[in-house]
Amino acid sequence: MVVTILDVAIGGIMLGGIYALIAMGFSLQYGVARVLNIAHGEFIMLGAFITWTLYTVLGINPLLSLVIVGPAIFIIGFILQRTLFTRLRTSSPSPGAYEASSLLAAFGLLFVIQNVAILIWGADIRAYAYLSVPVNLGGAIFAANRLVALLFAVVIGVVFYLFLARTRMGKAIRAAAQDAATAGLMGININQVLALCFGLGALLAGVAGLLISMTFSFQPTMGLEYTIIAIIMVVLGGLGSIPGSFIGGFLLGLIGHIVTYFEPGLTLPSYYFIFTLLLLVRPTGILGK
Amino acid sequence: MLEVKNLSTFYGKIQALWDVSFSIKESEIMALVGANGAGKTTLLNTISGLLRPTSGSISFLGKRIDGLSPHTIVEMGVSHIPEGRKLFADMSVRENLEMGAYANRAWKNKGETLEQVYRLFPALKERESQLARTLSGGEQQMLAMGRGLMSRPKLCIIDEPSNGLAPKLVLEVFQIIKSLRDQGITILLVEQNVRHTLETADCACILENGRLALEGTCSALLEMEHVKKAYLGL
Repeated sequence: MVVTILDVAIGGIMLGGIYALIAMGFSLQYGVARVLNIAHGEFIMLGAFITWTLYTVLGINPLLSLVIVGPAIFIIGFILQRTLFTRLRTSSPSPGAYEASSLLAAFGLLFVIQNVAILIWGADIRAYAYLSVPVNLGGAIFAANRLVALLFAVVIGVVFYLFLARTRMGKAIRAAAQDAATAGLMGININQVLALCFGLGALLAGVAGLLISMTFSFQPTMGLEYTIIAIIMVVLGGLGSIPGSFIGGFLLGLIGHIVTYFEPGLTLPSYYFIFTLLLLVRPTGILGK
Repeated sequence: MLEVKNLSTFYGKIQALWDVSFSIKESEIMALVGANGAGKTTLLNTISGLLRPTSGSISFLGKRIDGLSPHTIVEMGVSHIPEGRKLFADMSVRENLEMGAYANRAWKNKGETLEQVYRLFPALKERESQLARTLSGGEQQMLAMGRGLMSRPKLCIIDEPSNGLAPKLVLEVFQIIKSLRDQGITILLVEQNVRHTLETADCACILENGRLALEGTCSALLEMEHVKKAYLGL
C-alpha cells in the first residue's frame, strides 16, 4: 500500500512538474504577450523531437541537450514574436482585435510546425530508452529517468520563479503583464519584453517536451492535446497569474497521474470534468481575481 | 526645455488636439488647465510617446521626441506620472519604485534615488514590502509620484495628482510639487483643481476643445475675466 502511494506520488509530482512548466510558458505568452498560443503544444513536440534526434543520431545525452534545445526554441519563439506577432499587434486597431488575429496566426503556426515535423521525422510514434535503469526508493521501483525528469522540472520551475521574482527583467515582465502601457512609461521596452516572454514561453514548452521524451512516447501530432491541457491548467490557476499557472499545472498533472493509475482511459475526461467544475464553482481560477 | 509646435493628435478616429503650441522653460511649473475632454491627457500621452501625433513636433532639450517610443523618451529624462496612478497593484511598494528606475540612466543609482524618495515620502518606506493594492488612496498617489521620480527626470509630467484625495492631502501634494521644482525638476502639471493649480504653478496653458485657448503667467491668468468666470466660478 505504502509502496503504491509512493509510486503514484512520485509519478504524479513528476507529471505535475512538467505540466507546471507547460502552464507557465502558456501563461507568459497569453498573460503578458497576449497571444493565445494554440501552437504551444507544437513547441513541446519540437523539444521532444530535437532531443530524440540529438540522442539517436549524434548520441548527445538528453540532459545535456537541454542547453541546445532550450536556446534553439527560445530563438524561434523570440523571432516569431518580433516578426509575425509584433506586426499583427501594431496593425491591430484594438487589443481585442489583436487577440483574435494572433489566435488565428497561432492556429496557422500549429499546422505549419506540425507538417514540417511530419516531413522531417515522419508520422510515427517515437520513444527512446535513456536512464531506464530501475531505482529502488523505499520499496517502490522507478526508472531513473522519471526521478531525473522530476528533479529537472522542479529545478527549472524554481529557477524560473526566481528569475521573475528577483531580476530586473523578471520584474519588468510582471509589470508588463499588469499594465503594458504604464510599463512603457517606466522605460521598459515593451516590444523587447513581449518577444522575451514569447521566447521564454516557447523555451519552457520545449524543455517540457525534452523531459516528456525521456519518459513517454511522442509523435508529431501530439501538440494539440497538450495545448488543450495547458489552457485548462492556466484557467485552473487563474488567467494572467504566473504563480497560479504553476499551481494549476502541478495540480492537474498530479490528479491526472492518480487517475491514470486507476483507469488510463479516464485521464482526459477527468481534466474536462475538473475544468467544467471549475467554471461552475470558481470561474476566476485558484489565484485569479 | 520642452517645445511643442503645431501639434495635432487623433484619439481613435476623433481629433483630440488641434494645432497646439507652447513651451516650458527649465525649472518652472507649467500647468495645463481645461475641462474634462479638453484634450489634456491626450496632450500628455502624446508628449510621453503613448500616442503619436498626426502633425506637428515635440522637442525636448533641443531633440525631436515625437514618434519615439515611450521607453526612449524616459531614457532622455522625461517621466510621466499617469492619471489614475496606474500602479502595478500586485507588486510590492519597493518593486513599484524599482520599476520606476528601470531606465538604464536611472538603474545604476537606484539605491541612492530610493533613499531620496523615502525621505520625501516616509510612509512608503514603512510599507516597503506591502503590495501596492493594499495602500490607501493617499499612499497610492505618493507611490505613483515616488515611482515617477525614480527615473531621475529632468521633466516630470504629472496628471491629476490630487484626484480623489482628501483636502489636507491635496495641499501636501501641491507642496511636494513645489519642492520638486525647487530641486530643479521642471514640471508639467494637469489638474482639475484650477485655483490651487494656478496658485502653485509659474505659468499655464488653458485648453478648450482640443485647442490652446489661453497661455500666460499664472498671476496674469488669475486676473482675466474669462478665467475667473469659466474656471474659478467667480
